[in-house]
Amino acid sequence: MNELVRHPTGLVGSVLLSLVAIAVILGPFLAPFDPQAFHPAVRLAGPSGTHWLGTDQFGRDILSRLLTGAGPTVLFGVGATALGVLAGSIIGVTAAVAGGWVDSVIMRTLDGLLAVPDLLFTLLIVTILGGGIGEAMLAVAVAFTPGMARIARSSVLSIRTREYVLAAIARDESRAYIIVQEVIPNAIGPIVVEATIRVSFAIMIGATLGFLGLGAQPPSTEWGLMVAEARQYMYRSPWVVAVPGLAIAVAALGFNLFGDALRDAFDPRRRR
Amino acid sequence: MTNSRAAAANGQPVLDVRDYSLAYGTPAGPVEALRNVSLSIRPGRTLGLVGESGSGKTSLAWAIMRYLPANAVETSGELVLLGEDLRTKSLEEIQDLRGRRVCMVFQDPGASLNPVLRLGDQIAEALVRHRALSQKDARDEGEAWLARTGISRPSEMMNRYPHEASGGEKQRVVIATAFACNPEMIIFDEPTTALDIITARQILDLFDDLHDETGVTALYISHDLGLVSRVAQDVAVINQGAIVEFGPREHVFTRPSHSYTRDLVEAVPNPDHRIVTSEPDAEDALLSLDEVNVMYGRGKNILSFLQPKREVVQGARNVSFGLRAGEILGIVGESGSGKSTIAKTLAGLQDFEGSVAFGPRSYSGRHKIDRAYRRAVQIVFQHPDASLNPRQTIGKILSRPLKLYDLVPRSERSRRVRDLLRSVFLPEDYAERFPHELSGGEKQRVAIARAFAAEPRLVICDEITSSLDVSVQASVARLLVDLQQKTGTACLFITHDLNLVRQLAHRIAVMRNGDLVDLFESSQARAPERHPYTTQLLDAVPVPVEASQVSSAAERAP
Repeated sequence: MNELVRHPTGLVGSVLLSLVAIAVILGPFLAPFDPQAFHPAVRLAGPSGTHWLGTDQFGRDILSRLLTGAGPTVLFGVGATALGVLAGSIIGVTAAVAGGWVDSVIMRTLDGLLAVPDLLFTLLIVTILGGGIGEAMLAVAVAFTPGMARIARSSVLSIRTREYVLAAIARDESRAYIIVQEVIPNAIGPIVVEATIRVSFAIMIGATLGFLGLGAQPPSTEWGLMVAEARQYMYRSPWVVAVPGLAIAVAALGFNLFGDALRDAFDPRRRR
Repeated sequence: MTNSRAAAANGQPVLDVRDYSLAYGTPAGPVEALRNVSLSIRPGRTLGLVGESGSGKTSLAWAIMRYLPANAVETSGELVLLGEDLRTKSLEEIQDLRGRRVCMVFQDPGASLNPVLRLGDQIAEALVRHRALSQKDARDEGEAWLARTGISRPSEMMNRYPHEASGGEKQRVVIATAFACNPEMIIFDEPTTALDIITARQILDLFDDLHDETGVTALYISHDLGLVSRVAQDVAVINQGAIVEFGPREHVFTRPSHSYTRDLVEAVPNPDHRIVTSEPDAEDALLSLDEVNVMYGRGKNILSFLQPKREVVQGARNVSFGLRAGEILGIVGESGSGKSTIAKTLAGLQDFEGSVAFGPRSYSGRHKIDRAYRRAVQIVFQHPDASLNPRQTIGKILSRPLKLYDLVPRSERSRRVRDLLRSVFLPEDYAERFPHELSGGEKQRVAIARAFAAEPRLVICDEITSSLDVSVQASVARLLVDLQQKTGTACLFITHDLNLVRQLAHRIAVMRNGDLVDLFESSQARAPERHPYTTQLLDAVPVPVEASQVSSAAERAP
């Protein structure tokens, strides 16, 4: 942890993530207003003493909506990534350990899927599964699986030929022992790091899906949806779009910087 | 070279390093790389700079070339090249000086040549730049120099790309380029370490010839005392950034004043000083290989067309030999000779054809090998950094064989781990540590302890000393022999170091391109009936430092 904070990027990332975490955990309690309550008198108002970040087209308090929306937005990103990493790791480790034609078939198939852009792939899956936040999450997870499988596989492959693994094979250790005790603990670093970075992508794709009306549905306070709903009032009050947009950026940047720093901390050559 | 001649006339040294200190700035504070280094090279002489890894010898070379990383801080001293302090020169002056007046030859010729340019263009480029020749003259001159380095068809070599030349040929090209620039001084940074024994020997001979011919001044950096005793007239020994010994070769090797030099000289393996005393029981056969064949890269199934086409390489061809209980058998050969293939095959890591008999049982393939065999045959690998799982403590690593083979009851395990650590001369509290907290030599001791923990009957040592420093090498070899004698375990000692293997093996097997070409008693190494390749290998290794040899070599020096 000390390693993480010593890097300037790690420090910034940690601070941003802490802010986001506070919003996720305490958001609903900190919110000064009911996020769904209309205040018709102050529609599309700028920041003021009562409404710190202004109000939207229905006069709802943006700060309150932002705070209550943090949970669903970030959990969407983390959840989708976790599912994708889990599925991808299982596939990648299986391919690497099996080797031979199993590996070739799995990896060529995944290469095909990787050729489709993430967002397009997600849209495709959402159209099949139907809209909604759960479906969107699943779609992002599926879209992440091929990439994660590739990383897990290469990470395992590089460990598999290390001499300590060969020593374990020469000792006649069971396959399960070798994978669980010798390979995974050493291969997990790059996977964890990639996952952290991907959380930010997941948040952005989630926001995009929300914006396109395929993710969270109104009156949800999911950040992407907030941007989408406020789009047509952008010229009358930039605050409605800028504030949730900025929140998305902060969360994504936080995860991204944190992931970068995590990679440096895991890599002994970069550790100074 | 007029300058050097002038210098020779008035006895001025070509390079004079005076009280030079260098440190690298790190977040944890400055780390001293060189401390008050003073040495000088007189015209036409070769100075051998000897030190272990991390001793600062390469830092000094970079300092002379004025190519230091941004965090380097020069804290004191002067680097004087023919009366001019290099530290006071501007970048342009230095650029003019590099290549024209000081050249450098690196360790790995594969990395010092540009892979996308023809070799001829690379030589010509240096000559056009540093000697202001026209393109045509430069190519002619380059070709002439290639011929002088013993390349048989120089004009053909000029048109080749680096990947079309062997390691030895590439190093010849680099050396030809350095000499062709006609500099006052050439720095050689371990120029033979990346090459095979026989090629290395040829490069050394070439260095001697060219040095005699041109009389260039040279700084020869190496970790190998034996090698330096062959090429250099003056020797400087560097330890932890400080020169501990500097003087003519004869003095340094025969009457070393510093204890570090004495240790270093003693650590060089010498075939005349045997470490092993006991003899194996002649009757008791432990292991025998019968017509063992290993192929690499052969497709195994119908879907192999999915993988890129690979050539079949034979790693071992009809290899047969036997091993007696308690015997140390050395296997030597150059890289790619198949010696590691044999190690992997016997450790059950490599598919093979033929049969391996161990005790009463015989195994005809990798998948036939059972746990009893795997317990009785243990392997120690070359790289101590890679052979221990970085996420497990030393205690866990050592207790694993005990648990796996159920050798000692659970309650006894931690006591046994401490015994094992003591048997390899490591403190007991190392059981709590992780591998990265140990030095290379200590890690290799742990790997040896892990192998002996299984109470094996055969331990395979695959180049276990090659990645260690000379002084550590000697202690690891002694430790191994010590354990081997105590336990009566047989040992297959694979190495490319002929001097070392002659010190500790009972018999020696020589491999070449997958064939076993020779097998003999250690004492018979110089017998006339040896295979010509064996003799060639033995002749190629640097002579160990001996007082008598040094004095005879000294007569050759100018």
